Amino acid sequence: MYAVVNIAGLTLGIVSCILIGLYIVNQLSYDRFNVKADRIVRVTMSYGDANQVQNTSVTGNEAGPQLKLTFPQVKSYVRIYTWPRVVKYGDKMFDEKQMLYADSTFFNVFSFHLLQGNPATVLSAPQEIVITKAVAKKYFGDQDPVGKTLQIGTDPTANTNYTVTGIVADAPAASQIKFDFIASFSSLTGMHKRPSWFNANYYTYLLLHHQDQIAPLQKQINTYMKEVSKNELGMTGSEFLKLHLEPLLRVHLYSHVGGLEPDGSITAIYILGAIALLILFIACINYINLATAYSAGRGLEIAIRKVFGAERKQLFLQFIGESFLLTVISFVLAIAIAVMVLPLFVQLTGIAFTAGMIVTPLFILLLWVLCLAITFVSGSYPALILTNTGLAKILKSGVRLASSGGNLRKSLIVFQFVVSVFLIISTLIILLQLSYVRNKNLGYNKNHIIVLPVDYRMRPQYDAFKKAIENDPQIVSVTGAYESPVNIRWGDGIDAQTKSGKASLNVNALPVDLGFIKTMDMHLVAGTAFTPADLMKMDTSDNYKNYQYSFILNETAVHKLGWTPEEAIGKTISKGRSGIIKGVVKDFNFASLHQPIGPLVIFLGPEFTNEMFVKIKGNNIPATIDFLHNLWKEWAPYRPFEYHFLNDEYNNLYKSDQRTGKIFTIFSILAILLACLGLLALAAYTTVQRTKEIGIRKVLGASVISITTLISKDFLKLVIVAIVIAVPLGWIAMHRWLQNFAYKIHIHWWVFVIAGLVSVFIALITVSFQAIKAAVANPVEALRSE
Amino acid sequence: MQSNMIKISNLEKIYRTEEVETIALNKMNMEVKEGEFVAVMGPSGCGKSTLLNILGLLDDPDDGSFLFNGEEIAGYNERQRANLRKRTIGFVFQSFNLIDELTVYENVELPLIYTGVKASERKERVENALDKMQIMHRRNHFPQQLSGGQQQRVAVARAVVNNPKLILADEPTGNLDSNNGNEVMALLTDLNDAGTTIVMVTHSEHDAKYAHRIIRMLDGQTVTESILREQL
Repeated sequence: MYAVVNIAGLTLGIVSCILIGLYIVNQLSYDRFNVKADRIVRVTMSYGDANQVQNTSVTGNEAGPQLKLTFPQVKSYVRIYTWPRVVKYGDKMFDEKQMLYADSTFFNVFSFHLLQGNPATVLSAPQEIVITKAVAKKYFGDQDPVGKTLQIGTDPTANTNYTVTGIVADAPAASQIKFDFIASFSSLTGMHKRPSWFNANYYTYLLLHHQDQIAPLQKQINTYMKEVSKNELGMTGSEFLKLHLEPLLRVHLYSHVGGLEPDGSITAIYILGAIALLILFIACINYINLATAYSAGRGLEIAIRKVFGAERKQLFLQFIGESFLLTVISFVLAIAIAVMVLPLFVQLTGIAFTAGMIVTPLFILLLWVLCLAITFVSGSYPALILTNTGLAKILKSGVRLASSGGNLRKSLIVFQFVVSVFLIISTLIILLQLSYVRNKNLGYNKNHIIVLPVDYRMRPQYDAFKKAIENDPQIVSVTGAYESPVNIRWGDGIDAQTKSGKASLNVNALPVDLGFIKTMDMHLVAGTAFTPADLMKMDTSDNYKNYQYSFILNETAVHKLGWTPEEAIGKTISKGRSGIIKGVVKDFNFASLHQPIGPLVIFLGPEFTNEMFVKIKGNNIPATIDFLHNLWKEWAPYRPFEYHFLNDEYNNLYKSDQRTGKIFTIFSILAILLACLGLLALAAYTTVQRTKEIGIRKVLGASVISITTLISKDFLKLVIVAIVIAVPLGWIAMHRWLQNFAYKIHIHWWVFVIAGLVSVFIALITVSFQAIKAAVANPVEALRSE
Repeated sequence: MQSNMIKISNLEKIYRTEEVETIALNKMNMEVKEGEFVAVMGPSGCGKSTLLNILGLLDDPDDGSFLFNGEEIAGYNERQRANLRKRTIGFVFQSFNLIDELTVYENVELPLIYTGVKASERKERVENALDKMQIMHRRNHFPQQLSGGQQQRVAVARAVVNNPKLILADEPTGNLDSNNGNEVMALLTDLNDAGTTIVMVTHSEHDAKYAHRIIRMLDGQTVTESILREQL
C-alpha cells in the first residue's frame, strides 16, 4: 500500500513534468531549425497618429525590396502571402487552407528541407509551386508530381495552371511558417503587383549579413521611414508609418502583433515551468512524508539491524537504495503513461508531439538526472532520520520525529493546499469567464447561421444563387458581407462635419449586402436598415460622379462624433466618397471580447461580398445542409462545398482561452490529487504516532466519532490556513487575468466559498479514511504495543 | 453477604494467527464480590492481561459466560460495552498511559468529557480527585514533567474521577520504585476501603498482600485461590 501510493504520487508528478517539459522544449526551440535563424528578422509595421497607433505583423509589398535596395546590410528578403485556394488535379478538388506565396529566396533564407527540386530555382518563375509529400500523395498518388500541372484558384480570367517544381518535407512542429503549398510570389497579379507601403498583406523577412547588424539597422530604418512617410507618402503632422525588426527567434514567444501563428507567450512558459517544478516538488514532499510515516513502523527493523552490527552508512545506503528503486519504477511508469496520454496532450496543445521526442538521448539524460535528484532529495531525509535515531530510543519508544520536523511537514501540507485552492479558484473563474464569453449577448444572434464562401465566379451569379437558397422553407433569410461580424478587421477612416468642426475618425468598416441587419438580428436604435433604393444611389456611371454611399454607424462611432443617434440620421459623412447615415445600430461585439467595442461603419457594398450568411430555422439542420449542398453542386461545381457555422467561428476566437481553461482544470485536479496523497501520508503518519493516545482515549470511553473528529480537526486547521492564504492570491491572479478581457465577469465571493468547501470536503474524506481506521482499531492492540 | 459483581464461567479466549492457535483463557472460572480487592498472579503468558482486558470490556471472550452485576454481557456489542465501561470501570496501567500532549488536569478530565459531565461539575470533580491524590499542585504540568510516582497518581486520579464501581489495575507499581509503589498501593487500598472493587494483576508478592484474595493462574486457568483477609 505504502509503495503503491508513493509510486503513484511520484509517477503523476513525473508524467506532468515530462509533458510540460515537451511543451516547453517545443516552444523554446521555435524556428531554431533555421540555420541562419540568428540573422533573420521579421519586419512588422506600426502606423497612425498622435491619437491612435495600429500595430501589425504584415507590411506592404515595398518593405522588402526597398530595404534591400537601400541598406547593404540586408542580404536578401522573403515576402510571404497567405491565400487559401481551391486546388484541382484531374477529378480531385479540395479547398486548401495552407497555401503560401513566397519569393524565390524562400529556400535560401529558411532551412526547409527540399526533397526534390533545386532550392535556388523552384520558385524563380511565375506559376511555379512546391508541395509537401502528403499533398503529392493526395493529388498524384504514386506518380512523380514534379513537372505536372495543378489548377489553382477558380478565377477563369486568371492563369490557374501551376507547375510543380519541387517537393518539400513538412515544416517542423516548431516553425512559425507552416504550409502544404508554396507558390512563387511572382505568380501574384493585380494589386499584388502595385508597389505599396500601406497595403499591408505580406509577411516580410530579411536575411542580414551579420546578426550584430540588427540594432544599428533598426536605427537607420527609423530615419529612413520618417523620410518615406513625409516625402513619398505625404504624411503630415503626427502621422507616421514605422517598420520594426523582430529577430526571428524572438517572434514566437516575445511578439505581440500576431502573425502566421498565434503569439506564444514567454510568461506562459515561465508559469508552466514553475507549475512543473511545483508539481514535482509536491510529489517529492509526499514521498518524504510517506517515507517518514512508514518508517515510524520500521523502528524495530532498524534497531535489530543495528544490534546485529549494521553501520549508519549501510543503513543510509539501504534507504537511499529503496528510494532509488521506487523512483526508477516511477520513471519507467511515467514514461509509459506519458507516451499513452500523448495523443490527448497533442489534442490539448495542438502541437504534433511524437513519442520519439520523449526517447531522444537528451531527454532521457535529463530524466536520468531528474531521477537521481529526486532519489536524493526524497530519500535522504527519511534515511537520515531513521539512521540517526539512537538505538535505545528506538527500542524504547519507536522512531519519533522532532516537533520542528512536524512543523515543516505541516507547512508543506499547507503549501500543497495553497496551490490546490489557488488552482481551484483560478479554474472556476476561468471557466465562468469562458462560459460568459460563450453566452454573452453580443448584440447580434450568431446561432443557426451557416457561412458559405463567395468567390470571383460566384459573384456574378450571387443574386440568383441567393434567391435559389431563399426558396427553401427552412431558410429564414440570406445576406452577404465582406467578412463575418464575429471579427471585423477592415480598417478605414471617415470624415464628418460635427458640432465642433471637421472631424476624422479611424474606424472598422464592413461592406454588407441588403438584409444584413435583419439576418444578424441586430438592433437599430435610430433610422432604418439599407433598402433596395439605397443600391440605386450607388451610381458608378460617369466615373462615380453621382455615387452615394449609405452608412449605418454603431453607437460608439456616433458618440465619438458628438451626436445622439437621432441627430446622426441623415447626416453626410465621407469615406473617400460621401454618403448619408441611414441608421445607428446598437453596439455589438465585432472582435473578441478581449477588446472593447470601437467605432464601426457598416456600408452598403454587395460587390465586396466574400461570405454569404444563411440564417436557417434549425429544425432539421442535416436536411438543410443537404439542400444547400445540392444547390452548391449545381451552382458552383468548380469548388467543393465547404461551410461552417458562425457560432464555431466565434468559438475559434477563444481557442487559446479555452486551452488555458483546460490546462488549469487538468492541473487543479492533479494538484488536488497530489495534495490528497500528501495529506493521506501525513494522516497515516500522525495516526501511527498517536496510536497510544487513541487507545487510551478509547479505553476511557471515546467514541469512534470523537476520535475521528479529533484527528481530522488538526488537518482541517491546516487546510483552512491554506484557504486563507490562497484566496487573496487567487483573487489577485484572476483579477489580472480578467484585465485581458474588455468584457468580463465580476469575481463573486461564492467562488471562494465553493473552492474552500471543495478542498475541505476532499481533505476530510482523505483524512477520515485514516482516522476511522485508527478509531475502530482495538485499543488493546494500541496499548499492548507500548 | 456481598453479591457477585463479576462472575465468569467457562470463559475462553483463543488468539489465532495463520499457523498457530494460542489458548489465552481455557474455560476460566472466577468470581469477584462487590467491594473485594483481588490480586491476580501468574507467570508471563498465563492469560492475566487477557483476563483483565475482558473484565475491562476492552476485548470479547470467544466462549463462556460473563455476568457483570448479574447481567450477561458476553454478547454485548462494541457500543454497549463502551457505555458500560466508561460509567463503571476505571483503569490503572503499568506504563501509566497518560496522554503526553495533555496537562495533568486535562488527562484527569478526559473520562468526564466522554461521559458527558457538564463543565462546571467536571472542574469540581477533577479538583477533588487531584486533591485526594495529592497532585493538585501539578495540575498544569505535562506528564513528561512528572516523576513516575506522580504520573501513576495522576493515572489513579483519572481512574477514580468518574467514581467507578470497579478499578482494574495492570501491574500498577511495575514501573515504580518501592517508595512510590507503596504509596500507590496505599491509594488503591484507601479506594477499596471506600467501597471500590479492585482487580489487580501483579507479579509482586508484596503488592498482592494488599488484596483480600489472590488468584494464581497458569495456562489460562485458575490453579489456586488463597484468601489473605476477610472482606469487611
